[in-house]
Amino acid sequence: MENINNTYRESIISEATTLRWEVGENFHDSLMESIYKNASEIAAHSVTKKNKQQNHTFDQKLDKIITSRMFGFPAMFIVLAVVFWVTIIGSNAPSAMLASVLIDKIHPWLKEIAAAISTPLWISGLLIDGAYLGMAWVVSVMLPPMAIFFPLFTLLEDFGYLPRVSFNMDSLFRKAGAHGKQALTMSMGFGCNVAGVIATRVIDSPRERLIAIITNNFALCNGRWPTQILIATIFIGGAVPGYLAGIASAGAVVGVALLGVVLSLVVSWGLSRTVLKGEASTFSLELPPYRPPRILRTLYTSLIDRTAIVLWRAVIFAVPAGLVIWLVSNITIEGISLAEYFINWSNPFGLLFGLNGVILLAYIIAIPANEIVIPTILMLTVLTLGMNSVGAGDGVMFELESVNATADIFKAGGWTLLTGINLMLFSLIHNPCSTTIYTIYKETRSLKWTTVSALLPVVMGFIITFFVAQIWRLI
Amino acid sequence: MNNPLETLIIGTIILFVLCVLFWPGKGILANWKKLQKQSLKILIEDALKHLYDFEDKNISSTLHSLSGYLSISGDEAAKIAQKLKDISLIDIHNEKLLLTPDGRTYALKIIRVHRLWESYLADETGVKEKDWHLRAEEKEHYIDQEEANILAARMGNPAYDPHGDPIPTASGDLPVKKGKHLTEAAVGKVYKIVHIEDEPIAIYSQIVAMGLYPGMQLKIVEVTKEKIKFVAEGEECVLSPLIATNLTVAQIIIPEKIKKDFKTLSSLKIGEEGEVVGISRACRKQQRRRLLDFGIVPGTKIISELQGFSKDPIAYKIRGTLIALRKQQTDYIYIKK
Repeated sequence: MENINNTYRESIISEATTLRWEVGENFHDSLMESIYKNASEIAAHSVTKKNKQQNHTFDQKLDKIITSRMFGFPAMFIVLAVVFWVTIIGSNAPSAMLASVLIDKIHPWLKEIAAAISTPLWISGLLIDGAYLGMAWVVSVMLPPMAIFFPLFTLLEDFGYLPRVSFNMDSLFRKAGAHGKQALTMSMGFGCNVAGVIATRVIDSPRERLIAIITNNFALCNGRWPTQILIATIFIGGAVPGYLAGIASAGAVVGVALLGVVLSLVVSWGLSRTVLKGEASTFSLELPPYRPPRILRTLYTSLIDRTAIVLWRAVIFAVPAGLVIWLVSNITIEGISLAEYFINWSNPFGLLFGLNGVILLAYIIAIPANEIVIPTILMLTVLTLGMNSVGAGDGVMFELESVNATADIFKAGGWTLLTGINLMLFSLIHNPCSTTIYTIYKETRSLKWTTVSALLPVVMGFIITFFVAQIWRLI
Repeated sequence: MNNPLETLIIGTIILFVLCVLFWPGKGILANWKKLQKQSLKILIEDALKHLYDFEDKNISSTLHSLSGYLSISGDEAAKIAQKLKDISLIDIHNEKLLLTPDGRTYALKIIRVHRLWESYLADETGVKEKDWHLRAEEKEHYIDQEEANILAARMGNPAYDPHGDPIPTASGDLPVKKGKHLTEAAVGKVYKIVHIEDEPIAIYSQIVAMGLYPGMQLKIVEVTKEKIKFVAEGEECVLSPLIATNLTVAQIIIPEKIKKDFKTLSSLKIGEEGEVVGISRACRKQQRRRLLDFGIVPGTKIISELQGFSKDPIAYKIRGTLIALRKQQTDYIYIKK
């Protein structure tokens, strides 16, 4: 009995082995296909659809216009321009209000309390001038634009317009080896690179998603716009005759932003042909029907999911940065602060790239947020020059109401037109802020790609500023 | 400040040197890493593969063929052969190198890893077809049997690699060989490509460039000493016998619905409707799954609906949903009107 069973089993196993080779390599696929086919047949029998013909033709007409050669691109630019304009204009007042409350009111008030309960100077300096001010700065500069930009963007998405933008842009991005949806994640990056990186989740092809993540940093984010505008106004606007100043400086800022777009395409192209060649790639893009946006829901989700999370992450990183900034300017060895040591030592390197030691130090200690780069630069410049009449003390970041006063500080620091131009370039092309780097790690779960995303832009930035500086001096 | 011209030149030189050193895949560092990987173990394993390959083709291998295959000198080949004999993986009879059963088992293990890795590259990554073989050729020496089994299980234990070669099972089983060279095919009969030989690379990439793939159906039109003519997927192809010997085909008694007047989805004009007949076998795993996800299966009706200001991508109405597909994808989808 046992024997017969065994022979029987053996024969089944050998039969199975032969069949394994016979069914061929397409067996799994055919199985899948038949499952889909069955399901669709069952659905066709048992599901009835309401006639939605009317909606359908409306969608078709709208699609024809939005994706046409005549209206497609102009409509896209106008929509994006309006979104940015509303963001910039709309966030001015709340930003100023937040700054006046957090920085001008609460900050002195905290200092007073600290003095009243006779806290040691270094503790109040570290915690209030360092940590608190770092956080206050990030919140007041970052919160209002994000709270306006993200809901607007989400509304467009909800309405169904953004997928059409991807559709329009896909042929351009395809040539760069990327996905049309990268147009969206890039636009999102103009608001905040953290949000841009998170938004790449809509790209379901692994290679194109990595490309979108690595190049997102080339979208000039919210935190860098004020730097660009300030430097352009002072240096570009100051280099041309007065009546051209406004146009020239605005043109320079837009030029830098466009350079970012071009760079992100070029880098996408390079990445998809070198290091990312082996990653899997598939394409899919659904164009959902248009529908009226659900405004309240959108407000809620974009404020909670996007703004709050991004802001929280930024604050977490800004607090230690504030501490470090205060410490390097206040710890002194033989009467000279750590910051000054570093600045004196790195100044020659900085000059090689048309920058200076102050800018290099500012970009190192202000990694957590681009928003605090300018306040840090101002504080450090004043610190190294020993200008006691301006600013609020060593290690206390500040900004000035008047552009001219700011310009005077820069000029006293030895800045030239070249410094201005290269600072604008370096502000565009440098490592992402630490919040973004952390987010990239969370999204990719890969140290390798996080390192690439962090180092690639900063290396590019140094190469570009180096050549600009040398050629500039040559001419 | 230094002379800017000098700085510029020095900077350019440094940049150039850094590129030469660190360029991904081609730089000196990358090449050095590749060189480091050339070791005795690799030579031994490659030698076994060569012996197995020749045994499979009923050709006897010699020291001469071995040194040619490994691109090493005759002396070195003799050393490798002696080494193999010492660990009793091969026997040497009248200058012929023969695999012992142990040697054959070892060779099959390497081949299993090689073919599994090719399947992995084809199904799970975006590596180009012509690079599969070369990459697997490197990788095969670094994956042990346990990892190979895990890899196989993850891919659902594939039976064939993307070239149509059977993948040896963990116990070293292979199917009985069937099929013949395309040059031996009979006029008027229908065949299926069961195997495309991936060496030499030059010929293989030519075959790939023509769009031939394992599983493709061919109807033979003409066989002469100068050329072989056949119809595949509605198009007539002509191959020289030299290339045709790299293709192994098996006769099909009952051809799959020969897709006679089928077209690709990409040929559909805006506003036209077509019914899906199938998806090309050349469209593999992830890409194929994506198309299936959209419900693109035989019988599905598709309307070409919207063309943007570029001709690629085009939006199609599939099962009530508007989906944009790139031309590269729609070339894979067969339809009838």
